[in-house]
Amino acid sequence: MVTRKLQLSIKSIAGAMLGAVLLAGCSAGNPSATTSGSQAIPKGTLNMLVSSSVGSDAGFKAVNKAFEAKYPGVTVKFSSIPNANYNAVRSSRLTAGGIDVGLADPVQVPSYIPASNEGDDARLADAGGLVDLSKQAFMTNFTPTVLDAIKYKGKQYTVPTGLSYYSGVYYNKEIFQKYGLQIPTTWSEFVTVCKTLQSHGVVPLGISGKDSSGINMLGVVQNLFPTAADKVALAKGLWDKSVKLTDAKPEQVLNQVKQMYDFAEPNFAGVSYATMTSGFVKGQFAMMSDGTWNQTTIQAAGGSALNYGYFPLPSSENPADNAFLGGKVELSLAVPSNSKNEGAALAYLSFFSQPANYKSFLKEAGFAPTEPNIQLSPFYTSIATYTKTFEPAWDTIWIANTKSGAKAQFPFDYNDIAPLGTMTPQQAATASQAAWAAGF
Amino acid sequence: MSANFVFGRRSTVRASFFLGLLPVVVFAILPAAAVFVVAMTDIRSLPFLPVHWVWFQNYETFFSAAQIGYNLNALKNTFVFAFAVTIVQNILALLIAVLLNQKLRGTTFYRSVVFFPTILGVTVIGLIWTLMFNPTASPGAAIWHLFGSSSAFFGDPNISLYLVIFVQIWAGIGVAVVIYLAGLQAIPNELYEVANIDGASSWQKLRLVTYPLLAPSVTANVLLCIVGSLQSYQLIYVLTGLNNNATQVLSLAIFAQGFGGAGGSSQSQGYAAAISVVQFIMVSVISLIVMAYLRGRERKL
Repeated sequence: MVTRKLQLSIKSIAGAMLGAVLLAGCSAGNPSATTSGSQAIPKGTLNMLVSSSVGSDAGFKAVNKAFEAKYPGVTVKFSSIPNANYNAVRSSRLTAGGIDVGLADPVQVPSYIPASNEGDDARLADAGGLVDLSKQAFMTNFTPTVLDAIKYKGKQYTVPTGLSYYSGVYYNKEIFQKYGLQIPTTWSEFVTVCKTLQSHGVVPLGISGKDSSGINMLGVVQNLFPTAADKVALAKGLWDKSVKLTDAKPEQVLNQVKQMYDFAEPNFAGVSYATMTSGFVKGQFAMMSDGTWNQTTIQAAGGSALNYGYFPLPSSENPADNAFLGGKVELSLAVPSNSKNEGAALAYLSFFSQPANYKSFLKEAGFAPTEPNIQLSPFYTSIATYTKTFEPAWDTIWIANTKSGAKAQFPFDYNDIAPLGTMTPQQAATASQAAWAAGF
Repeated sequence: MSANFVFGRRSTVRASFFLGLLPVVVFAILPAAAVFVVAMTDIRSLPFLPVHWVWFQNYETFFSAAQIGYNLNALKNTFVFAFAVTIVQNILALLIAVLLNQKLRGTTFYRSVVFFPTILGVTVIGLIWTLMFNPTASPGAAIWHLFGSSSAFFGDPNISLYLVIFVQIWAGIGVAVVIYLAGLQAIPNELYEVANIDGASSWQKLRLVTYPLLAPSVTANVLLCIVGSLQSYQLIYVLTGLNNNATQVLSLAIFAQGFGGAGGSSQSQGYAAAISVVQFIMVSVISLIVMAYLRGRERKL
């Protein structure tokens, strides 16, 4: 049942992407149905709270400016909060009724997982805390298949601002050309590329141990369990205990993560995300596991002098498994039902959804579009072969057991492997299996 | 009789006392008491959601097989952090205070320098030391390089806790020095003159005159330090993040569970409140024991 639902979602998003890539004239949505129609002219303060990222912040600011120009009676108070603090800030602001447009991502818990593991946003939607946007005219601007993928219990609570991919690797084309390297399509080839680079004194990989080391684990899981059905089977197997984290294939995830750590720049465990990004731009290493959300920042920092590309981390030995990138629907905007200015909030979402405004957001944010008929950026065009079938990333499928220990949260315990932690992959697998089993 | 009271009447004293007590009750005592109640519910961090009584289930979770490893690690780190900060900060602060109490040129300037980190916010301190210990290019990396070595600093699980302790001491030593300086200046000069006549060395004067007479300052400083460091998490959060096993302390666990943060399968705020109660009991017991010991020592002197 769940598998079927996911397959549907995947087909849907695949369709969305195909639409975005291929369609020029035929519209699945209705871009003209965009205005708030007969609604009153919005006014007052519009409090907006999102989690921060350089690209999306710039995108929102561009739309906000245009929105204020169109509705001079509205002042947008835009707050962007670092990811790690977003929940805490949202909690207090929401309690005070101080959010008109915020983020939410309600996810329906599959039938094989106890409802007690439902996320806060799903609970919020169930309790009537989010405004149902299903019947809003502006929703028709979005590709219906994307909307299907983020539907919660048959209703639309959120506006998808874009798609991101993050099971890939940025690579420096000049370094690759200099040493005659090709994009690797299997794990062995990837290891050979890294070893060749090392033999020339080039650091193969940059990792931000402080902020984003988990992305390497997600990249490895993505193609070791290549389809969404494979990932669902893995999640289900772990939940019904027919699969253990110490089994050969799950442990293989941690072994490959460890290999990546071994190819990374020295002392990466203390490196921040910003330092890693600047290291890649400066050519201090040849590759970097990262999401497409960072592309606009890399482009801005590197300028025309930086020649780079992006390919799926080939974690499988079968090239066909490594053909696609894993991704997710990005920041989803929602209106809390205790908003003090719901009229302005809906007007904002309507304005945001208009293709012209949405394009100005995308230009800065660096996401792939969730509306049809939008020209892909040169970067997304360059990776179109990897995105023509949408594959959801592991963390969009996995739901952790709140009763299990912290080491089984993802549930692959990449964080305890040396040098981030002090364990070998085998020890980390044993520790996470023990933490997982303790939750039942 | 009434002449003994300011404004002439007992009722004005009472009225002003209760007026002063009101904010303490509303903003400190009631919320603190509420934590005990909240710890018995499954309240979450968002409005709209229903709240249920779960009684002692949150405490059972805290001590459950799944969570106990994580919690014991946090407890161990909390104790190492609090013990090291309290001992090292107090010894260093006392020595610096004795040094700054001398009649030297530029003492005021030196005092300002020592006190300066105290006025900086946690985020600023975090930023400064993140830059100082950036593994790729920083003064810290340059010093390590001089010895032919390198380090991930805050990313190295073997040293990160000690680096955080170092930064905490750097940030907090100013207040301790000021308290010790105040205590030192209250010691009558005659005692040192007598000690000089008796031919006491500098070390003997410090050990036998200064240190005993500083007992009230020691009590204040040690207690402030213990309570502060057992509850501290802000600096650790800024320097090493929310989900770092090597530097996970109990207060940070409360924040992580209560508000989730990055990629956490967070429990309810009720569970976070239960950890707070465990922490409260721990801090109270330790503080009371240490206070009883230090007060006893003061009386003996």
